[in-house]
Amino acid sequence: MTDRTAPTSLQRARAWAAASALLLGVVALLLVFSLLNDAFLTVDNFRNVFIQASVISVVAVPMALLLIAGKVDLSVGSTLALGAVVTGLLITDGFPVLPAILAGVLAGAVVGVVNGLLVELWSLSPIIVTLGALTAVRGLALTLAPDPVFGFPDSFLALGEDRLFGVPYLVLIAAAAFLVGAAVLARMPTGRHVYAIGVNAEAAYLSGVRVKRVGLWLFVATGAAAGLAGVMLAARLGSAPSGALGVGFELDVLTAVILGGVAFSGGRGTIAGVFLGVLFLGVLQNGLTLENVPAATALMVKGAVLAVAAGLDRVAMRSER
Amino acid sequence: MSIVVKRLSKAFGGELALDSVDLAVDDGEIHALLGPNGSGKSTLIGCLSGRLTPDAGAMTIGTDTVARFNPRMAFAAGTAVIYQHFTLVGSLSVADNIFLGSELTAAGGRVDRVRQAAATEELMARIGVRLDPRARVASLSVGEKQLVEIAKGLRHDPQLLVLDEPTAALSEAEARALGRQLRRLRDAGLAILYVTHLLSEVFEIADRVTVLRDGRTVLSSLVGELSRQDVIAAIAPRGGFDAERRSMSDLDGAERVLELSGFRAPGVGPLDLSVGEGEIVGVFGLLGSGRTELLEGLYGIRGATAGRVTLAGAPFAPRSATGSLERGLALVPAERGRQGVFPSMSALDNVLLPYFARSGRPWWRSRRRERRQFADTARLLSLDPPSPGASAATFSGGNQQKLVVGRWLTEQSDARVLLLDDPTQGIDVGARADLYALVRQFARRPGRGVLFTSSDPEEVLALADRAVVLVRGRPAAELRGARITAPALLDLAHGHAAESTTERGPE
Repeated sequence: MTDRTAPTSLQRARAWAAASALLLGVVALLLVFSLLNDAFLTVDNFRNVFIQASVISVVAVPMALLLIAGKVDLSVGSTLALGAVVTGLLITDGFPVLPAILAGVLAGAVVGVVNGLLVELWSLSPIIVTLGALTAVRGLALTLAPDPVFGFPDSFLALGEDRLFGVPYLVLIAAAAFLVGAAVLARMPTGRHVYAIGVNAEAAYLSGVRVKRVGLWLFVATGAAAGLAGVMLAARLGSAPSGALGVGFELDVLTAVILGGVAFSGGRGTIAGVFLGVLFLGVLQNGLTLENVPAATALMVKGAVLAVAAGLDRVAMRSER
Repeated sequence: MSIVVKRLSKAFGGELALDSVDLAVDDGEIHALLGPNGSGKSTLIGCLSGRLTPDAGAMTIGTDTVARFNPRMAFAAGTAVIYQHFTLVGSLSVADNIFLGSELTAAGGRVDRVRQAAATEELMARIGVRLDPRARVASLSVGEKQLVEIAKGLRHDPQLLVLDEPTAALSEAEARALGRQLRRLRDAGLAILYVTHLLSEVFEIADRVTVLRDGRTVLSSLVGELSRQDVIAAIAPRGGFDAERRSMSDLDGAERVLELSGFRAPGVGPLDLSVGEGEIVGVFGLLGSGRTELLEGLYGIRGATAGRVTLAGAPFAPRSATGSLERGLALVPAERGRQGVFPSMSALDNVLLPYFARSGRPWWRSRRRERRQFADTARLLSLDPPSPGASAATFSGGNQQKLVVGRWLTEQSDARVLLLDDPTQGIDVGARADLYALVRQFARRPGRGVLFTSSDPEEVLALADRAVVLVRGRPAAELRGARITAPALLDLAHGHAAESTTERGPE
């Protein structure tokens, strides 16, 4: 049964520290790296951090919703490649830029529809379904474009390079993704339904929540977002290599989301947390690169960070009770 | 070895679940423990098994007296508890299950399957059962699984065997066979504490019976010195809640808000049933009577149904929860924890979840309006505490149930017919009275009706205008007005169960 006594000040301090650990971590990283390197705390460098984080952010937001609802999409890396390839092929064929971009996003959404239908209608495990899609969609992207697609017109490359009032387009898109995600979770009815499904799917169904419909839409949104992320990445790189683009991307996204305090088992998480998670990883990556830390070492550091996050999460959960 | 429990008390969040309970189980005795839901049976078993820590009192096993157990001590003292829910691994064999965690090994740490099989057969022989030790547990019937569970309990030579409603999932024939095997163990000197709902079992196999009620021992005596009526009176004494039954003339002319004819759902039916406007109909049934199947079938979450259902004058086909809610049919499910509550979500979320799309614009919630709606609902429910932000997990069982019921009682709800499945299971008396008042209030609103099920005769007595006794998925009798009494309900539910033993073969 529940202990209804008031928490002691020590417990409260611990709960606060655990809940704000990520924020403290980001601040600590900023302090350390700015002391170590003069090039770190500059406008140009931070623009870089945000541009690099923008592609992950766009997918991390719908992925967070999917995780809160107790599901997951492992196929986003391949879906990203598919979106990039579809848009890239159409543009190099002479299609206008905007319809080509929409086609890339749509391709991602179609992958989401297939994932969503398999999971929700046939009640298959999301891990298995999207693991299959991870392989199959990569194959599809390679079939569509056996060789890297490049030679984009300037009008498309502008998406990856230009700015509006000094803010790169890519960062604006990511900001929009965070705003939409936060609005859905905090202020729209669907947001509560997402939590309810993650906390107790059966009770949600019995209360009249359209559990399967919400799940399907989450997969579609995640797929479309992955397609968009592919378009963004292709515009930034100036090419779309179907075999290499977005390999391992799903793990980066999941790392950021889980680091941001979203429970892998569902029912818990916020968009603000996801933002901090993405930011933390972005700053860490950037700082390590500036310090010329070898890539292999950087990987070990990132992995260790996730383990620490898992530990903090446990502390936070326990003090919640 | 005998066990003596003296003045054992245990409270949860200020509510006494056990209030100075005494119990003595002797060697070579089958001691039946009875009591309605929430009477403290599970808590008592929890204390004996070491899962729960009593607040006061003492337990004596053999010659050792202790104030509390932990599971290891209980195990060392020779207590084996067989729970209602199986703890078996379906993909393993019978022998592997019995020796799970204490495997017999041969040289090199290899599991000695041959010795395990032999030992398993020996254990099975003790309870007079023949089962292939190599059979996969998943392929066994429920009754066989129960026997494997008991054999597993006997593996460590217990002095006291505690069984928690072991026949709940068994067929009549399997239950009888189990009874024979338990008597055999008793004759070999084992002390057995047998928790049950069924009066017939008490008189068939038990030597002594103790009845718990609201956490107190209200009866403890040799079975031979008692009549059925004595036990029934102890379980459900007259009085308690005020029954505010509507007069029959009021209800006879009423419109039918819900009418079933030849209704059939998996596990229940065919049956005819109707609920009039303003009427509260109670379905009394024991475990396995099909009471949950009836409500869940009607709500459209049990698969295909047959027969005709009329809801508020129009035909209705149960298909899905969302479909039923659109037609104004709402369900309060039996298992609060698994099907009702969202523990980590706020009280406000728990109550208003179905209505967020309506509280403001459909795409944008209005938190101010939601708070007002919650405050109104909390007042209606006399929710304690009435705080919108507290997570449901911090509420007591009774107040959690208020959140679940409140979901359909709030102003925002347009539920016309309320289905409640065992609505006050494990809830303290105060919250129970509140809930009864709420349900009555709901039924009095125009065009409404209530259909509820219960395994507690007193609940039917307190709440129902009309009562239907359900036995094996079929209505055995209908009682009205003053004819609804606890003995009548229990007699019909049990009596009929005894008559129809031949109708149900082994599973």
